[in-house]
Amino acid sequence: MLDASSTIILFDRFLFAFTIASHIILVSLSIALIIIISIAEFISIRRNDIYYSALSKRLSKVFAIIFGIGTASGIVMAVELVTLFPTFMTLVSQTGAILVFYVEIFAFFLETIALVMYLYYADYFSRYKHWILSIFVASGALLSAILITMLNAWMNTPNGFDAVSFIQSGEITGIDAWAPFLTSSTLAEVAHVLPTVLFAGVMLVGGYFAWRYIKSKGIEEKKMLTKGLKIASAIAVGMIVLAILTGMNEITTLLQLQPLKYSAIELNPVPGTDLPEKLFGTLVNGQLQGYIEIPHLQSFLVQIETGITHLPGLSQFPASTWPPLYVHITFDIMVLGGFSLGLFFLAYFVEWKILKKKPYESKLFLHSWIPLSFVALILMELGWVTAEVGRQPWIIYNVMTTKDAANYSGGFLVPGILIILFYVILLPLTFYFFSRVFSSNSMPEEEKGKQKAVSGMDVN
Amino acid sequence: MNVVFEIYFAVFAIFASLLITELMGAVVLLLFWKQAKSKVLDYIVPIWEVTGTFAALVVVTGDFAYPTLLVPVASIFAPLLTVFLILIVARNASIVFAEFIIKRKWLDKEKLFKLYAVSTLVLGITVLIILSALISGAGVNFSQKNFSFAAWLSSPGSLLFVVGALGIGIGVAPVFFSLRSMKNRVLPLTGTGIGLSVLAYYLYSPSFVSVLMLIPVGLTLLVGVLFWVSKKIAAVVSNKAIFIAVLSIIIFSLQFLVYPSAIGGAVSIDAVTTSSSLTSAYFSITAVGGVLLAVLLGFYMSIAMRSRNSRIEERLK
Repeated sequence: MLDASSTIILFDRFLFAFTIASHIILVSLSIALIIIISIAEFISIRRNDIYYSALSKRLSKVFAIIFGIGTASGIVMAVELVTLFPTFMTLVSQTGAILVFYVEIFAFFLETIALVMYLYYADYFSRYKHWILSIFVASGALLSAILITMLNAWMNTPNGFDAVSFIQSGEITGIDAWAPFLTSSTLAEVAHVLPTVLFAGVMLVGGYFAWRYIKSKGIEEKKMLTKGLKIASAIAVGMIVLAILTGMNEITTLLQLQPLKYSAIELNPVPGTDLPEKLFGTLVNGQLQGYIEIPHLQSFLVQIETGITHLPGLSQFPASTWPPLYVHITFDIMVLGGFSLGLFFLAYFVEWKILKKKPYESKLFLHSWIPLSFVALILMELGWVTAEVGRQPWIIYNVMTTKDAANYSGGFLVPGILIILFYVILLPLTFYFFSRVFSSNSMPEEEKGKQKAVSGMDVN
Repeated sequence: MNVVFEIYFAVFAIFASLLITELMGAVVLLLFWKQAKSKVLDYIVPIWEVTGTFAALVVVTGDFAYPTLLVPVASIFAPLLTVFLILIVARNASIVFAEFIIKRKWLDKEKLFKLYAVSTLVLGITVLIILSALISGAGVNFSQKNFSFAAWLSSPGSLLFVVGALGIGIGVAPVFFSLRSMKNRVLPLTGTGIGLSVLAYYLYSPSFVSVLMLIPVGLTLLVGVLFWVSKKIAAVVSNKAIFIAVLSIIIFSLQFLVYPSAIGGAVSIDAVTTSSSLTSAYFSITAVGGVLLAVLLGFYMSIAMRSRNSRIEERLK
């Protein structure tokens, strides 16, 4: 039986995990949407193409919805960090990590104010200037994502203060205000998170296009959706390649900076050389069970990339500091799923660029894309679970445990359940609304130029 | 002079001004939907996103400025903050859905905009309850780190504080939205609101009612009087940028309510303000970010004033 404080901390963690899991869906969609909108608008201006123009107009309305809900969700997270993990935020607030947050808010302002002008005052700008506004919106969105990832990197490899002194005395000394902007894991983490988040978002949008394409009977609408699928495919192909390459770099960075986390996600019971890759499995009484072994592979891959031959294992660390070992499973699913998606897009690329066919109109690819878009979303969530659970029991690696950071007042229990219920209702409603708004125009109407404005306020 | 506090309070003043203008719009929408929807929504529909971003800025500047207060504040205000969060999600969802909804059987734009108005109104009241507790300490047990709504309610001044603030907001709403037909309601409502607010402050602590109160009271009354006097002058005070600037100054001038001590004297602001070596970096970011923000807001305001957001009218037809 869990005691009261354990129940509270478990709930705190669940509530925050639930909130962030919901939030990153909105974030990945937002980033993907604004990039697709910007590309579509640019092409529509250059080629005077009504289909790209209609696509960017429709998507800008959808973006406004996702952004509105995402903003609220972001505020929920900012407040939850303080209310659920006040001791963590107290430390963050006394180190340069808070400045990363602070700069992120200004990036958020750039996105918000540029978006307001983009959506509601479109008529004021020439076509090119209006398109430039979309670049500002996208820059703000990307910068926000980068800065939040920087903060997460700081939690993995904290710097900018004397950690030893803090652990011993609780005093914060040796502050370097700017150091948290570039920790030893920042570059590797940002390089991996950005393409994966963008990939997941683009897959979702592309999956929606594919679904509508299959469903649609209008030739005009199909033409518009084809253009959307072309943009989504091009981004997805690029991002999956980047995600795989940076993912390999990320794992070797972990090996060097967080050997315990590495040992857990690779499920290495003991350190050693010439270690196999283990697919799935678990550790029972120190013994590996239920896994598929690929001999030598783990050591081989690491050696190629880093030259390191001796790999760490769990036995090097006290068992009390081990993270839950299911991170090995989540990691394996993520890697296998990522490579499967990579193969799908390799076939897609070959079909498109080498065989000069049109995979974005092929039934097989369209039908495959829909379930794969959910797979991409699940993989992004699993990647985040692996990263966060893999750092446990620490909230700030080797400095502060999640237990020490939590709020034990219990005042959040009932209202927290209300927040969860609220999200459970709101998120499906948002996606339903997304679909309704996107499909609310008929293409011929747009084609005839009855709807001139670009903004989301100009229809119906 | 506590510069960190001044920056924090300035950010808070701008956020509060934006929220108050939304609150005023919410009340007008609920009471005078047909007459006022065009003028009110023309302002609210773009600005609500900026208000939300300022809320995030208030949270982060607060985290930086008062790190040692985070633990007690998190415990004391957890339930109220959760209500705030639910309402902010409801507010955003209802207004964004209202913008784009295609009429269903029973659900339409008017209902959703009114849902937004109700969410914003209750959100405003929640913020007022938190503020009154931060000023007076009503309902707060600082040593046990909890908040009792019953204790807050029974404290003389609490309800007056909320009603007075709402009275001022409703009173000056016609000024902000340039609703000249309601000009005769401005001064009586604003005056009553000010009276109730001053009484609330007196009941909290007689020391609050000092000569410093003349600045916010005088400026608020002046806005009402100028609107009433003539159409030409009314156009100046109804200018959105000028009004928000004056409102921010009024709120900023109320800082004596929480400085040098807050929560009914339980907390000395200087003692809890960060004194770390981060402050010079914080000032640098504030300067650069502040300039960026001012440029963006200035650009937005200039466009908003020159190019009417006519789409709202189209969509409301």
